[in-house]
Parts: sequence; C-alpha cells; structure tokens
Amino acid sequence: MMSEFKNKKIFITGASKGIGFALAKYLDGCGASLLLHASSDEGIKRLKEEFLSDEHKFWQADFFNPESFESKLSSILDDFGPLDGFVNCVGVRMRRPINLLNVGVIQQTMTANFVSYMELVKIITKRNRFNSGLSIISISSISAHAGGAAVSVYAASKGAIESANRCLAKELYKKNIRVNSIICGQVGTEAYNDLMASKENTTDPVLERQYMGLGIPKDVVNIITFMLSNQSKFINGQSIPADGGYLT
Amino acid sequence: MTKEQILNALEDAMNVAQNSLTMETVLFDVHEYDSMAKLSVIILADDDFGKKLTGEQIREFSTVGDIVNFLAS
Repeated sequence: MMSEFKNKKIFITGASKGIGFALAKYLDGCGASLLLHASSDEGIKRLKEEFLSDEHKFWQADFFNPESFESKLSSILDDFGPLDGFVNCVGVRMRRPINLLNVGVIQQTMTANFVSYMELVKIITKRNRFNSGLSIISISSISAHAGGAAVSVYAASKGAIESANRCLAKELYKKNIRVNSIICGQVGTEAYNDLMASKENTTDPVLERQYMGLGIPKDVVNIITFMLSNQSKFINGQSIPADGGYLT
Repeated sequence: MTKEQILNALEDAMNVAQNSLTMETVLFDVHEYDSMAKLSVIILADDDFGKKLTGEQIREFSTVGDIVNFLAS
C-alpha cells in the first residue's frame, strides 16, 4: 500500500500533534506530498522542523474562525495542486457539565469541530481542487456513539460530522469523491496525557470498556491509510471504528 | 471576591443549595461532590479565577475551605 501514496497530494488538518502528526510521518515516508495544517505558531514550527521540503506546504489557521479560510487557503491550494486525500484531525476536546455550559462555549466547540470542517470540504471540492478518487476522512469519536458525562457538546460536534458525511457521500460520489469517518477510541497522544492530568479521577473509565487497551496513534493511522487508499473504494459514507473494542 | 462570594459560586457550580457549605464542610461528606462536581470546580477555577487546577490538586482538597482558599489565593 505504501507505494500507492507516492506523489499523492494529501491535506491533513491538525497535523502537528497526535494522530495527525503520526499520519503525516507515515505518508511522508511513503513519498506523498503533504499540505499540513496547524492552529498555533508552535504547531507550524514543529511541522516545519519535521517536514520541511519542497514537496510539502504548510497552512496556519484558527479553526474558531472559518470565515477566513477561503481567502487564505485558495492560493495555497492552487499552488499545491489537486488533492487526492483530505484528513481532518482537528478536534477541540471540551468537557463541561450542563450547568457550566454557555452559548459561547457551545458555539466555539461546534465551530472548531464541525463548521470549520464543512467549510473546508466546500473549498476543496470545488472544480480543479481535487483529482478523481479523492478520499475525505474525518476523525470522529466513540463519544458520538456511546455518549459520556460532560462531553455532550463535543460528542454532538462529532456526531454532526458523521451525519454530514453520510449526506456528503451521496452528494459527491458522482464526482468520484468518497467521504467517511473514523470512530476513534481512546488513543495515547499528548492530548490524552493532558486530559488525564486534568482529570478528577486517576483511572480512565473509558479503558474499562475499551477492553483491548489504550490505542497508539499508528493503530488509527493504519485504518486512515486504508480508507485513503484505493483498496477501500467500495466503502462510502461510513463510520469505521478504530476503538479497541469499545463499541462492541 | 469575598470568601462568602466564593462559597456561593462554589455552591452554584456544584449544584448544591445556597449557604449549605461552610469552610469546615468535609468534602467526603458532601453527597453531591462526585466526579462531575469535581470537574465543575476545575472549570470554575479556570473561568472565574484564571487558575488551572490539576487532577492531582483536586484530589488533595479535603474541606470546602481548602478549595475556597485555593481560589482566593
């Protein structure tokens, strides 16, 4: 499968950390050309340190403000060339009980996790921005399926992506574009370590149900690359679990 | 914010009756002080006091006064 990605053009958002970063490393090793997004200055710095080459391009953008995407991204995409893959790894984790939710927090979470993704799909599926066979993949979460206390808005934002993807799949297949979601279980990333450090309990209740244990980023990367590849060309509009057994 | 006001904010965040907590109240004895209430304290500290509370810190509090003093410090 590795050779399949040689010279393919893949756009990864949230590429400076966690699953996005592991995916970028793998695809870089396969000889793909990457357009890598990070939200922060440090994120872009990390990406440039790791991936600086003529083959790759970088895009910094704040996912709380998708209104600015089109103007900034258009010239980068024109320069980069038509996409073969788009993987959205941005996800703002937000844990708040209902009594401490407010309109601002709800809107921000929905904007960063859902609205921005929709805006990006709109931009990249315009004429000349993609090659036939484009595969769009977004990272969702087990919380969208099983629920979890204090993650109502986060789970809803991920559920919104999966619902939208089922529609987009039917809308875009005529352009030979596939759209799928990956239902991610608990994976040991920097974000996971931050989450556990801020948690009120010492053990992770998710791992009681995720009976195959904590995942590593490569576990999810393997499934993403399969979904990016032509080998999955008969799968569309689906939510594929990468969850260590959590949902079974 | 006075200690009284912080106590009220805490009662609000933890969803317990106003004036039901005192500085001496032992957290272990507060039925409502579950993991959601602990998360609420972490969010209150961040939102209204600009303080980051770690999971380890929250586990060290034994009385309501410990939380109030932390928030007031």
